[in-house]
Amino acid sequence: MKILCLSLALLLVASTYAQKEQPLPKDLPPFGPEKPLRAPEVRKTKLENGLTVWLVPRSGFPKVSFTLAVVGGYAADPRDRPGFSQLLTATIDQGTKKRTARQIAEDMQDAGGDVNAFAVRDAIHISTSVLSSKTTEGLAVLADLADEAAFPDNEVTLAKRNLTDQLEQEETDPSFQANRAIAKVLFGNGPYGVFSPTRDSLAAATSAELRGEFARRFRPDHAALLVVGDFSPDQMLSLIRGKFGAWHSPSSPPVAPASAPSVTAPHAIFIVPRPESVQTTLAFGASGPHRGDSDFETTEVANAIYGGMFGSRLVNNIREDKGYTYSPSAFLQSFRSAGAMRTQADVRNAATGPSFNEILYEMNRMVTTSPTENELQQAKRNLVGIEAISLQSNDEVAGELADLWMRGLPPEEIGNYGRKVAAITADEVNAAAKKYFPAAHFSVVAVGEEKVIREALAPFGLPIVPAP
Amino acid sequence: MTITRRLLLLSFFLSFTVSVHAQEWRPPTTLKKMPNGLTVVISEDHSAPTVGLCISYGIGSRLEPVGRTGFAHLFEHMMFEGTPIAPKGIFNRVVESGGGFVNGQTDNDFTQYYESAPVSALDAMLWLEADRMKTLDFSPKNLDNQRNVVEEEVRANVLNQPYGLFYIFDLPQRAFDKYPNAHNGYGDFKDLDAANIDDVHRFYDQYYAPNNAVLAIVGDFASDEVFAKVEKYFSSVPSKPTPPRTDVSESPQTAERRVTQEDNLTKVPALGVGYRMPARTTHDAIAGAVAGELLHNGQASRFYQSLVKEKQVALSINGGLNLNGAGPFEYNGPVLMISFIVYPADKTQDQVLAAYDAAIAALATKGPSPAELDRIRSKMRADWYSNLELPVSRAQALSHATLFDGTYERAYSVPEEVSKVTADEIRSFAAKYLVRTNRTIINRVPKRTDKPAASGGAQ
Repeated sequence: MKILCLSLALLLVASTYAQKEQPLPKDLPPFGPEKPLRAPEVRKTKLENGLTVWLVPRSGFPKVSFTLAVVGGYAADPRDRPGFSQLLTATIDQGTKKRTARQIAEDMQDAGGDVNAFAVRDAIHISTSVLSSKTTEGLAVLADLADEAAFPDNEVTLAKRNLTDQLEQEETDPSFQANRAIAKVLFGNGPYGVFSPTRDSLAAATSAELRGEFARRFRPDHAALLVVGDFSPDQMLSLIRGKFGAWHSPSSPPVAPASAPSVTAPHAIFIVPRPESVQTTLAFGASGPHRGDSDFETTEVANAIYGGMFGSRLVNNIREDKGYTYSPSAFLQSFRSAGAMRTQADVRNAATGPSFNEILYEMNRMVTTSPTENELQQAKRNLVGIEAISLQSNDEVAGELADLWMRGLPPEEIGNYGRKVAAITADEVNAAAKKYFPAAHFSVVAVGEEKVIREALAPFGLPIVPAP
Repeated sequence: MTITRRLLLLSFFLSFTVSVHAQEWRPPTTLKKMPNGLTVVISEDHSAPTVGLCISYGIGSRLEPVGRTGFAHLFEHMMFEGTPIAPKGIFNRVVESGGGFVNGQTDNDFTQYYESAPVSALDAMLWLEADRMKTLDFSPKNLDNQRNVVEEEVRANVLNQPYGLFYIFDLPQRAFDKYPNAHNGYGDFKDLDAANIDDVHRFYDQYYAPNNAVLAIVGDFASDEVFAKVEKYFSSVPSKPTPPRTDVSESPQTAERRVTQEDNLTKVPALGVGYRMPARTTHDAIAGAVAGELLHNGQASRFYQSLVKEKQVALSINGGLNLNGAGPFEYNGPVLMISFIVYPADKTQDQVLAAYDAAIAALATKGPSPAELDRIRSKMRADWYSNLELPVSRAQALSHATLFDGTYERAYSVPEEVSKVTADEIRSFAAKYLVRTNRTIINRVPKRTDKPAASGGAQ
């Protein structure tokens, strides 16, 4: 029934857009011979206390990046404390048994770094990047946080107040509102439905709860230390043993990985009213594969053709042809046990309906048309190349290793990506598109002037309801 | 025949080498200048099979024409709209299918175009950059399209955002008096709407020339081979006369400037504070860079510790010298040291400024402690190295430094320059520049929505 409504709507406002493919200039030099990405050589160790240590020594650039990752992020927060991980990461560097908040900041600055603690859905990361000559000092601060964060009452009180004000401020940002609402729409009350606190959850949280959650998640047998940069691996390993060797895991049960969500998101338009908005922020979301699923890379190729690249169908249509928007984006969100297809665009109020129409058109065009050979080759080469250029810095490599570890995947996956993508065929892309791109699978959040949105989107025949 | 000509022209390159300071990290780098005026800087980096490329032109928002605010940026978009032999869409398609990305950015003092890709795409990218340095498509239809895109960009980043980047775009307009320094570089819509294809021609003819550009390339290759490629693709681009540089200097500020703005979209008030800074090439400027970081860099900074932690009059504070541009070492005209402070609705502007002024007074009377100075030197060294880590960002730093100075030396000397700044130089910098008569403050407050009964009839 819903599908019928949608196809009628598309008939009413059929797109006039047809993309032409220009031939390449005759004098343009061809690409040179491919140089394969050299997968980082990872030295893997596990300390006696269970801490996973992956070392990637790279000489030259005189810095070292550390990421300490632990299992359990927003998806592991207590049900009555949504977004608790944000408070945990905001206060983890605000005092230990040895150091005050100020000393932590000053000691880390002296090493050339900052403490960067943040939560994702399935993990918490504490990252820093320090001068090679100050590795010992930087690592000492990191070990102190991992083992002995103290959550002093006065710091927790201040953080709660400031995060409440920050939430007030974030709620005026249309993309924050869109992201928060689409997560709720797609994952409901399940573990992946939340990534920010509420006023109530912040108000109710206590220092004792922070210490409890810290003890539950920060344990060496469910943690990994990823180290990338200019160091000698033997010296680094003995340094790590010295700083982290005394860290012990409790006998209580660790965080269990989040389970896959069972809800199916409704095919409807969810409004977040935003008075005075001069644009509508459109966020489309549907169930998608996650990294580790057999069709994940194939769906990445399909997404690149659809809207992931600048030269994609969607960007060519609604930006380069029609000028409705500055930076439309399409991407896959990949958690440990769930994934989502996402499309987002900020469009001027008057272009709300036409943009919506073109996005549906491009989604359905993925389903009805196979990619051309050029589209397929461009997307595949782009994904493999982007992998190479997004794994250049120490920070990027450490972050990628943390992501693989969190999913239970080996570091060697980095070297496999190019081969996997190279083998993908047009038929496989089309099969993935048929599975993940039908417009009727998508839920939509629209943030902006309510009247504008209702008038512009009514012709599409979908239920228009307030966002949850 | 072709090879002979190439070798012949190569011999006309001017070569420079710069002495190496043992304790500093300095990737091997070479600069050559081509007969048509194009300056080329090349640095080998074999850590990944990739390349980063940046071409900076010596024109930014500051020198865009009167009545055409936002034009330098609109023009930047037009550089992606094709040429007679590589029509719209080709540039992106080639770089993306080469496994890379391409982008452009308009600063006050330069406009940069940069690509990052596997090194196998280098020839194609150089060819495309050379092609759009020779001529453009100048299509009125594409200008209309990009005018729409730019206006959506302004809506997304300014008009539809809480705070609307007022500390980036509004503060300089209030702090300076001359058009080049005191106009909106993103552009007023009436000026964007008025821009026509003749403007695009004129701007291109005036500023987009090899002699007004620096090309920097960093990556996994042999430098000699890349110089030869650059010569092959760029030597036929003709040089052009560029207009004499406008005098952009300002008369000294004599009184504090205060402005209050209402914000339709935010619920939490904020302050923007801007102090006029000395010229980049003066000794005071480097002390100013260090002072800016002492005050603003991270949780160890003076402002964070005082305003957010100790006195609890701010939710967040960030800032530094040339915050609205490419940072404390890359500018070419009057700039500000900017602080952006978000403060709780139950505090007043005066309470925030009292704490802010106390922090500045402490720096201006006592200067930093030796330990504090050591810390900030380490941090600035580490931050600057990070700025040079990725091939594309190193290419950017090399091209900006060379554009301003004719040599890339500054891209590598920043840590050493910072380490030479003394506590007393920072103290006297603060006492001289961080004074009320030299500053402009914008207080950005949420628009009142509570409607008093007495004004019930008003709109």
